[in-house]
Amino acid sequence: MIGLAHYLVLSALLFAIGLIGIMTRRNVLMILLCIEIMFNAANLAFVAFAKAWGNLDGQVVVFFIITVAAAEVTVGLAIAILLARQLKTLNVDEVSFLKW
Amino acid sequence: MTIPLPWLSVELFACAWILVLLAADLLLPEARKASLWLWTLAGLGICAILLAGQAIAGGHHLIQQMFLVDPFSRFFKALFLGTAAVVVVMTRPFGRHLAGRLGAFYLLLFTAVLGMLVLASVHDLLMLFLGLELLTFSLYIMAAYLRTEARSIEAGMKYLILGSLSSGFLVYGMALLYGFAGSTHFEAIRHAFEVGPVPPIAVAGLLLVMAGLGFKIAAVPFHLWVPDVYEGAPTPVVALLSVGSKTAGVVALTRLLFGAAPTMAGLWTNVLAGLSAATMLYGNLGAIPQTNIKRLLGYSSIGHAGYLLMGLSAGSQSGVEAVSFYLVAYFVSNLAVFLAVTWAGEQLGSDELEQYNGLSKRSPFLAAALFIGFLSLAGVPPLAGFVGKLFVMLRAVESGRLWLVAIGAVNVAISLYYYLMVIKRMYLDAPPTSTTFRLDRLATVTLSLLLLGVLWLGIVQEPLVRQILVSVRP
Repeated sequence: MIGLAHYLVLSALLFAIGLIGIMTRRNVLMILLCIEIMFNAANLAFVAFAKAWGNLDGQVVVFFIITVAAAEVTVGLAIAILLARQLKTLNVDEVSFLKW
Repeated sequence: MTIPLPWLSVELFACAWILVLLAADLLLPEARKASLWLWTLAGLGICAILLAGQAIAGGHHLIQQMFLVDPFSRFFKALFLGTAAVVVVMTRPFGRHLAGRLGAFYLLLFTAVLGMLVLASVHDLLMLFLGLELLTFSLYIMAAYLRTEARSIEAGMKYLILGSLSSGFLVYGMALLYGFAGSTHFEAIRHAFEVGPVPPIAVAGLLLVMAGLGFKIAAVPFHLWVPDVYEGAPTPVVALLSVGSKTAGVVALTRLLFGAAPTMAGLWTNVLAGLSAATMLYGNLGAIPQTNIKRLLGYSSIGHAGYLLMGLSAGSQSGVEAVSFYLVAYFVSNLAVFLAVTWAGEQLGSDELEQYNGLSKRSPFLAAALFIGFLSLAGVPPLAGFVGKLFVMLRAVESGRLWLVAIGAVNVAISLYYYLMVIKRMYLDAPPTSTTFRLDRLATVTLSLLLLGVLWLGIVQEPLVRQILVSVRP
């Protein structure tokens, strides 16, 4: 029987994968993907809790998070295109003009 | 369900005005788009009038209790509208960099204002998330707005990546709090904390949400984006980030901690006190070696976040009152400095500190404005910043954290050192060229008003304190 604990463990794993990905990956597109994984970890937790509590609040929040995440990626991709056009790179380590 | 129009009028009007700005940007001929700043100011003015129309005591819960209109939110909404108006004034000299895309810039400014207005009224985690993202997304785009400049693109990218990371923490924390309380509403969460027992996931959820908001305030350890974004982003946007976005973060954090987790005060006051000490030390020590004025102001804004957290860490109503005063003092001082820096940046062609050598001979008014603004930020009496710091430290003494007050006092000395180094450049060093320049009338009037505010709050605190007492007391 798959219960709340299983969902939460999976969600925590997804969150950790996203977090580690953001810290280790250097390509902007991969970083944006990892951010999506983190958001979806939270979505999974919301849905699992909504099922456990038997109310719909959590599921409603998930719809909002999905929409906001889509907007986030749109802005992120626009900036990635700027990077590719102006600086000819998608590697975040190569983009560092701002240093003390 | 009917929509309670009078209590939502400010936000609804802001939504409508965003559409008006969009239409104006599409329909106006290119030559007349320069007047869009007046449209924006007019929109902010009407918002202010609508806000004044709501001035009735007591709180009003709207939209399934998710949205709370009370004196506290009105006080900060007025501050946000003022911030946006000064930022619009700043875009005047800056406008030529935005040529051709000015309309969209003002539209984004207004969406950021809407986000801040919503944040002032949050009473539900979902509303908190939406307000925060509305504000942050607008700022991501505005930070990268100079799209042919590598530094602006880099600023936008860094802000976006670190901002999204902190949003990730925020939503995950929200999910855990929801799992604990069974609702995203602040009242329900508070009730769950009161009844107990409090499992570790609830504590983790609260800390994760605090981390997400700590990013907005630029508190250590979520400060990494600040220096780079401040240096690379357009100066008016930095002013909005530094004053508007930080204030919105503090207000939302206050709402969350006092609205949803007052019984957990033993935990979060200690967390905030620790972060406060680290933030003050990091910001002020980091500012010393800087050679770029915007980067220096970035570090200084981290330092100020530390003082704000010190006030919140008192965990009491009087702590919130001190923070409110500090935010108003920070608003007048920092916006005066940023307005001066925007003009200086345009006239000097760079934000490097070397260019500020001998500024007092090239533009005495600008140098004097920076002089007063910096002294206020450092906390020199009798200026607004001094009173703000005094109030915040008094609250920290009341809560028994003398070590934190000691660190705060040491940081006043450190910050005075690097602010005085800039002042020394302006008044004692030889200017690179002897050309002089003047500000236009609008900037002169705005800057004079802000400086008057700095002096006035430093000498006469009573009217503002009385207003704050009315606003903060439930």
